[in-house]
Amino acid sequence: MTVKECYEKIGANYEEVVARLMSDKLICKYNKRFYAANECDNLLKYLEEENYEEAFRMAHSMKGMCVNLAFDKLYKFSSELCEALRDGAPTVDIKPMVDAVVKENEFVLACIQEMDDV
Amino acid sequence: MDNKKILVAEDMELNREILCDIFDGEFDVMEACDGEEAIQRIDENKDSLSIILLDLIMPKKNGIEVLKYLNSIELIERVPVVMITGESTVQSDLSAYELGVADIIYKPFSAKVVMRRVHNIIELYEQRVSLENKLEERTKELKKSKEKLEKSNDFLINALSSVVEFRSLESGEHIRRVKIFTGILLKYVMSMYPEYKLTKPQVELMVNASALHDIGKIAIPDNILLKPGKLTKDEFEIMKTHTTQGCELLENFKQEDNDFYKYCYDICRYHHERYDGRGYPDGIQGEEIPIWAQVVSVVDVFDALVGKRVYKPAMAVEEAERMIMEGECGTFSPKLLDCFQKAKHELYELVANQEIFQTVS
Repeated sequence: MTVKECYEKIGANYEEVVARLMSDKLICKYNKRFYAANECDNLLKYLEEENYEEAFRMAHSMKGMCVNLAFDKLYKFSSELCEALRDGAPTVDIKPMVDAVVKENEFVLACIQEMDDV
Repeated sequence: MDNKKILVAEDMELNREILCDIFDGEFDVMEACDGEEAIQRIDENKDSLSIILLDLIMPKKNGIEVLKYLNSIELIERVPVVMITGESTVQSDLSAYELGVADIIYKPFSAKVVMRRVHNIIELYEQRVSLENKLEERTKELKKSKEKLEKSNDFLINALSSVVEFRSLESGEHIRRVKIFTGILLKYVMSMYPEYKLTKPQVELMVNASALHDIGKIAIPDNILLKPGKLTKDEFEIMKTHTTQGCELLENFKQEDNDFYKYCYDICRYHHERYDGRGYPDGIQGEEIPIWAQVVSVVDVFDALVGKRVYKPAMAVEEAERMIMEGECGTFSPKLLDCFQKAKHELYELVANQEIFQTVS
């Protein structure tokens, strides 16, 4: 899959990202980095340990990467989780949020895996 | 020329990489993945950093703490900081600006826009720093030429006043002593009577101006100026014109709004006025007589009393003081006499110091 096709499959805005990051080559590179980093695993690990401070940072980090890569949906889900974790232990049930992040993250990673190197 | 150095402080590897890619080639890019590392990089490159891109939320130390550090070492004035933030509120933006950030860039950022902004900001800061440097240099130059000018001024004043010394029978030291005594007495006036609003620089000018108090004597004919005996009434009338003649001479060099000129003029003209109005040339009285002229007036009398002259021996300082205090040598303002009382020990000490008190041949 080309970068453009991959973004279309994810449902992300290719035109916007290429305008900002300038080339398919760079976008591809950053996507592979995102894939390799897999912050979601770390996020789940910290949530498991109830280390909410680090979990917040992971969610925040994920949100930050998604916004630059224009993964709008994953950005939205990670942002919601991020806000729930901002002040330490969450006061609401975060399970649906976590599930949404995990599911969308898996989908995005699967798409990136199919992206051809540029 | 070496590339400019940029520090990218951002904990997210991916975002850091994006930023580094933007500047790679054009800048020497340094990276920091948390606030502590950022501070370390800053310390290592204090003098060579061109700009800092700073993330707000980072582990160990956050962006705000890094900004505070930059403020504490006063680097924030010189090295621009661009805040990069994903989440901002008016409040957080304002506090960043208050801590001195040059700009804030919001995520998601566009490579080209970041590049352009960074270039603009660096240019702006470089211009500012270069302007400041120029200004500082110019100020230094001005200070230097001012010092030079003051030196040549001093030289000219001394040269001018020595003309009088050469012609008159007054001790060549008289003028030097008048200057020193004037400085001492004005110091007391300044501290005891703040209502005169004298400042140190003004006093310095007055001291210099005091050297010219008798400049008008160069216009007095030899047969009067150098007459060993008592002057006749007519001769004394001519002698008195040394005050106004001095002013006429100074008027040739008149400078508007110049304190030094004003002090020279006033001292020349009014140093024989009396507090009771019975002096010359204008017969003004009380505080109409500028304080700087009043001071030179009493100093002139004191020095004449305690100095040796061809026509009289030196008088003991205590006797001179008594005559001044009791109004036997003119009347002076009570405030001035008060200062004279406080200053007299310093004056006595100088009189006792034979080195500045040579006998007139």
